[in-house]
Amino acid sequence: MKYSVIAAASAAVLATAGLSAPAFATGKMSCEAGPQSGWKTRAELEANLVEQGWKIKKSKVDGGCYEVYGTTPEGDRVEAYFHPVSLEKLLVSRRGKVLFRKP
Amino acid sequence: MLDQHASKTHDTAMSFLRKLNSLPVLWILLSLPGLFMVRGYWVGDIIAMDLLHPTGEFSARFMIIALFTTPFSVIFGNRPWVGWFLKRRRTFGLAAFGYGVLHLVFYIIDMEALKPILAEFWAPGIWTGWAALLLFVPLAITSNDASMRRLKRGWKRLQRLVYFAALLTLAHWLLIHDGVGGALAHFVPLALLELWRIIIIYRQRNNKTAQHETLQTP
Repeated sequence: MKYSVIAAASAAVLATAGLSAPAFATGKMSCEAGPQSGWKTRAELEANLVEQGWKIKKSKVDGGCYEVYGTTPEGDRVEAYFHPVSLEKLLVSRRGKVLFRKP
Repeated sequence: MLDQHASKTHDTAMSFLRKLNSLPVLWILLSLPGLFMVRGYWVGDIIAMDLLHPTGEFSARFMIIALFTTPFSVIFGNRPWVGWFLKRRRTFGLAAFGYGVLHLVFYIIDMEALKPILAEFWAPGIWTGWAALLLFVPLAITSNDASMRRLKRGWKRLQRLVYFAALLTLAHWLLIHDGVGGALAHFVPLALLELWRIIIIYRQRNNKTAQHETLQTP
C-alpha cells in the first residue's frame, strides 16, 4: 500500500510539472532585436512572403524572432524564422531537418 | 409509506448511477473532446495545424489508460475498480484509435497535398507516427468478441503489438514536439506501473522456483 501512495504521488508531481510548464522559447533560434517598438509588424512580413509565393498557415514570436509556418514557393512545408527588424530569413526547417540557415 | 418512498427514490438514484456508469455513456464522454475539436474546425475557430497536438494527445492518453489495466490487475489484484478498468479497456483502446485517425485527418488537411507529406515522410518525428497508427489498425479491427473467439490465443499475441505502438507513439511525440514535458507526464506513470508489474511477476516466479526446489529436497 505504501508503494501505491508513492507511485500515485510521483505520478501527480510529474503530471503537474508537465502540464504547468510555461510557454517557453523553443531555442531553435534567437534574435537580439531590441524593443518591440522597433520591430516591423508580422502583417508586413506575411505580406512580403505571400508576394514571394509563400503560403502561410500561422506566425508567432519565438525566441525574439518571427516564426512562420507555411509552404515555400518551392512547395516545401516548413517552419521558418525571420529577424523582426530586418525581416531577413534566418532559418528554414522541415520537421527538424534544416533546409536553410543564414550563413 | 415513507420508507417505501425512500427506497423507491434510492432505487431510482441507483439505476441512474448505473446508467451513468455504462459503456454508452463512456463512449459519449470519450468522444466529447473530439466533437468540440471538429466543431471548432468547422466554424473556423481553430486551424487544422493547431488541432494536431490535442488530437494526438488524446489518442496517446486513451491508449495509456487502456494500457494501465494489466499492471493494475497484476499489482492490485482482483478488485472492483480494477474490474471497472478491465471492462472498459476495449473502449479506451478504440477511442485511442479514433483520435489517432482524427489526428491523421487533420494532418492531411494541414499538409494539403501528397507531395509535402511524402517529402517529410522519413523525418524521424513523422514515420514513427505513421508506424504507430499503422500498428493500431489490426488492433482496432480485432477489438471485438468475434475476433477474440476466432483468433483464440493468437488474439492476445496480436494485441501485444500495442507495446510497440506505445513506444513509437512516445518517440513520435518526443521528436515532433518542442519540449518533452507533455510526453513524459503521460508516459512516465505508465513506465513506472509497467516496471512495478515486471518486478512483481519476477518475484512470483522466483518464489515458485524456490518452493519447487524446497519440495524436491528430500
